[in-house]
Amino acid sequence: MLNILCCVKQVPDVNLVKIDPETGSLIRQGVPAILNPLDANALEAAVMTKERYGGKVTCITMGPDMAEEALRECLAAGAEQAVLLSDRAFANADTLATSYVIISAAKELGKFDLIFCGKESLDGATGQMASQLAERFDASLLSGVLTLCEVDESKKLVTVERELENGIEKTEARLPALITVEKTNFHPRIPNLKNWKASRTAEILRFNSKTIPDLDPAQIGDPGSPTKVPRTYPPEVGESGFILQEGSPEKDVDKLFALLEGIV
Amino acid sequence: MKKTDYRDMWVYIEHDGKKIHPVSLELCSEARKLCEASGDALAAVIVNDLPQEELDKVLEAGVEKLIFVSGEGYETFSVDAYTHLFTELCKKYMPSAVFVGGTIAGRDFAPRFACRLLTGCTSDATQLIYNEKTGDIEFVEPAVGGKMMAVITVPELRPQVGTIRPGTFKYQPSGRREHEIIRERIGFPVDQIRTKVLSFTAEDLDDSLNIADAEVIVCVGSGIKGADALPRYRKLASLLNGKVGCTRPVFDRGILPFKLVIGQSGVVVKPKLYLAFGVSGAVNHVTGITDSDKVVAVNKDPDAAIFHYCDYGIVGDMDEICDLMIGHLEAKKTEDAS
Repeated sequence: MLNILCCVKQVPDVNLVKIDPETGSLIRQGVPAILNPLDANALEAAVMTKERYGGKVTCITMGPDMAEEALRECLAAGAEQAVLLSDRAFANADTLATSYVIISAAKELGKFDLIFCGKESLDGATGQMASQLAERFDASLLSGVLTLCEVDESKKLVTVERELENGIEKTEARLPALITVEKTNFHPRIPNLKNWKASRTAEILRFNSKTIPDLDPAQIGDPGSPTKVPRTYPPEVGESGFILQEGSPEKDVDKLFALLEGIV
Repeated sequence: MKKTDYRDMWVYIEHDGKKIHPVSLELCSEARKLCEASGDALAAVIVNDLPQEELDKVLEAGVEKLIFVSGEGYETFSVDAYTHLFTELCKKYMPSAVFVGGTIAGRDFAPRFACRLLTGCTSDATQLIYNEKTGDIEFVEPAVGGKMMAVITVPELRPQVGTIRPGTFKYQPSGRREHEIIRERIGFPVDQIRTKVLSFTAEDLDDSLNIADAEVIVCVGSGIKGADALPRYRKLASLLNGKVGCTRPVFDRGILPFKLVIGQSGVVVKPKLYLAFGVSGAVNHVTGITDSDKVVAVNKDPDAAIFHYCDYGIVGDMDEICDLMIGHLEAKKTEDAS
């Protein structure tokens, strides 16, 4: 019986986020929050592994109350248990503080053999969580997994194929192992109606800064985050390029090739 | 310990025993500029041996310290051994900053040793600035899908750790300096390495997936209707002796593989001609094309940001313009042949 954890995040659909031209700040209002797309691939890998070897998948997230919706999506797609870590004191956390809160709560849930997470989030997009969660869980790190070849529970080993820059590496790692996957072989499933219905009313386990035992306030939220964002600004946009207006698409294309003479 | 007690900026020299990964040299050159501003010494951390001609490239970047590390456990790369190595080195020498190439290996171990040291780590900065007032490095990067720029700092703790994508900066030899050589032995017990590589299969060289050095790139953006629309762009690319690339949303939709994603979190390209079809012009994409000689943008939205980054723009339907370009090139070919 494998005990599997999948760490997920609810993110704003950044493609729909607009910038206030007056203040330069983000307009989040009306922007839907979604389960981070690459987390859905990680969850699929977790659920596939459970189906093959037996076990239980717990999904966990840190975020505001509304992040519950992302967890219900995970339950509908095959997770057995969902855990929400929510507290105002967790806000403004960078990857170091977030990974600390997740490991602190995970200790209450038992020992995990495999931990899955998405390669990066749509919004923060640091891609650092996997590496830092592996450290927090004292786990082997297997990033960019294409195929989960075998999990040997008795020997406490997992064998995978990973995609590297110039080829494919077959690697064996000791459990516990933290895994991020490539999208190719782990397409998120469409939940069936029964699971979806059950997910709507399923109980979600909740923790806050008071209910996670021995949580060090200096290591959470803003105080626990060594990286800061002192300022943001709209990207500088230069002058517009030369827009062809020859009267018809055909003439525009002819003109373009005339301008590119010597290059094409 | 005050942050001013931490001195020197380090660059990790990633290599395979024969050649240095270009990103390490790019980082040496960029960190050199930071050191000029901060007064820090620039140090290169080299694990295992490196041929002299490769070492010369590091020295040409103006490195003032070479830290050679040897010991058991580093024959092949492993996250466990390298995390240990950098944790120990940082504790002993207390560098102000550590830069690591944003390769798969670098992105696997750098955030991990930063976590073990409980310090800050940033990734994918596209600009590095030394702030004289605060004494901090400002890691500037596109954020929220490229809709804004964010300045990230590590204001209290040291070292400031950053992974930077290959191709973000340029290797510019600035001349040799007097340099100190430090030799360290830090072993890591082999039986504590939790991963074991069983085999490696070099990828069948699918040259179409290697776009970093392409001279012509036809890039399709989120305006593309679907995978069905791809053949015409492939055809145009082939007529121009170029390759097809894409923006991040096209990968997210499963239309093209990640190796073709151009931009901050993908490949940085520098073609002679870059043609953007249906590309909106988000900064995280545009940072990957700034070294292109000529940029042509085709978009049906006259207000698309990409028009601010192009030399020539056509407002129109991307498929139609692509077909017209194919027609033009094919006609020219027939003409040339006759």
